[in-house]
Amino acid sequence: MSKKLKNIDKPKVVIVPCSGIGKTYGTVSREAAYNLIEDLRPETAQLVPLSLLVLGDKNARQAVSGSPTITIDGCKLACATKMVQESGGNVAQDFAVLDVYRRYRQLKPQGIANLNEGGELLAHALAEEAAEVVDQLIAGGQNG
Amino acid sequence: MVDLLKKKVGIVACSGEELTEGTVTRLAALKVLEELRPNETVTICLPLFLAGGEGDRAFARFYPTIAVDGCDLRCAARATELYSGKPAASLLVSDLVAENNLDQPQGIRRLNEAGQQAVDFTAERIAERVDELLGKRWDRRAGEFIASEPEPTTEPEETKQATCSCGSGIPVQEIQIDGHAVTIVALPLIFAKLLADGKTPSNSTERDLLEMVRIYNPIPVGENEVYTKALLDAYQLYYQQQDVTA
Repeated sequence: MSKKLKNIDKPKVVIVPCSGIGKTYGTVSREAAYNLIEDLRPETAQLVPLSLLVLGDKNARQAVSGSPTITIDGCKLACATKMVQESGGNVAQDFAVLDVYRRYRQLKPQGIANLNEGGELLAHALAEEAAEVVDQLIAGGQNG
Repeated sequence: MVDLLKKKVGIVACSGEELTEGTVTRLAALKVLEELRPNETVTICLPLFLAGGEGDRAFARFYPTIAVDGCDLRCAARATELYSGKPAASLLVSDLVAENNLDQPQGIRRLNEAGQQAVDFTAERIAERVDELLGKRWDRRAGEFIASEPEPTTEPEETKQATCSCGSGIPVQEIQIDGHAVTIVALPLIFAKLLADGKTPSNSTERDLLEMVRIYNPIPVGENEVYTKALLDAYQLYYQQQDVTA
């Protein structure tokens, strides 16, 4: 594996968030990904950064092509989903922050460098939904 | 609306989500865009070079660009050069930390105090590069500097807002030239400027139109005439759609 990607002993679901800098939804996507891999499913989910996929890094491409992948996009351009697909990856589930926000209208995200409480809660809600998908994918892989 | 006449500097951060230094690049770029040089800088998401359109891929040719990377893989610098244009400058956070004896930043998701210091330090270095690049003349067609006198300085604008070009990049328009579809970078902006200047789609406008298009796009030798006709036709259509006689 690349020195930038952690070695994994057992199958993990790959998480690829948006790498947007200038918009709140990009921050929500990233925070949701961190919430998922650090707090909710550290044993079964791992993050692959978009920048490595853009550069065509061999190990990053292997990671997304060899494992089911969940993408989290911050805007309609869906860079994460498109890059995983262009890298030969299998997008098992693509989340769009705006779609998730429509389900949690009370959690209005604000802030870019630092999210407000609504943004943090929205990211957590998204991470919870993604965690369920991770569980299904892991269970499916073990049964398959 | 992008001001065609005002030169800005592009910032492309690696934003590497798996590294502390990646977080430093993202927050340092944001600090420059929002606080230090809000009216002089724009950014673009790195993946848009591949996932976006022609306007996005024109970014590093249109703007002199500073690539800000977290590690020696230099994803931002290498991908920018590969898909858009050679960065005018490049910064590496891990080098900045080592060379300036800064404490090692930690915390991918929440930076520690050393991480915040690295953000501030990196942002200041980016801002210095921005100032240096604004003092040089940039050829948007060639995507490189012109060896000549510095550009005149302009008065700072009052608004403070991060300019993120995610989702827009450089506006482009495809037109038919001599039977071929050709993508013209910045054409919607050029049309908007001509309209704002009161230029009608007439023979007296064609020279201005061609010269403005030439700044951002290569025009093949011997094709001035066909380009002029196609551009004027496209401007005629745009002009009619704006309902300027109302």
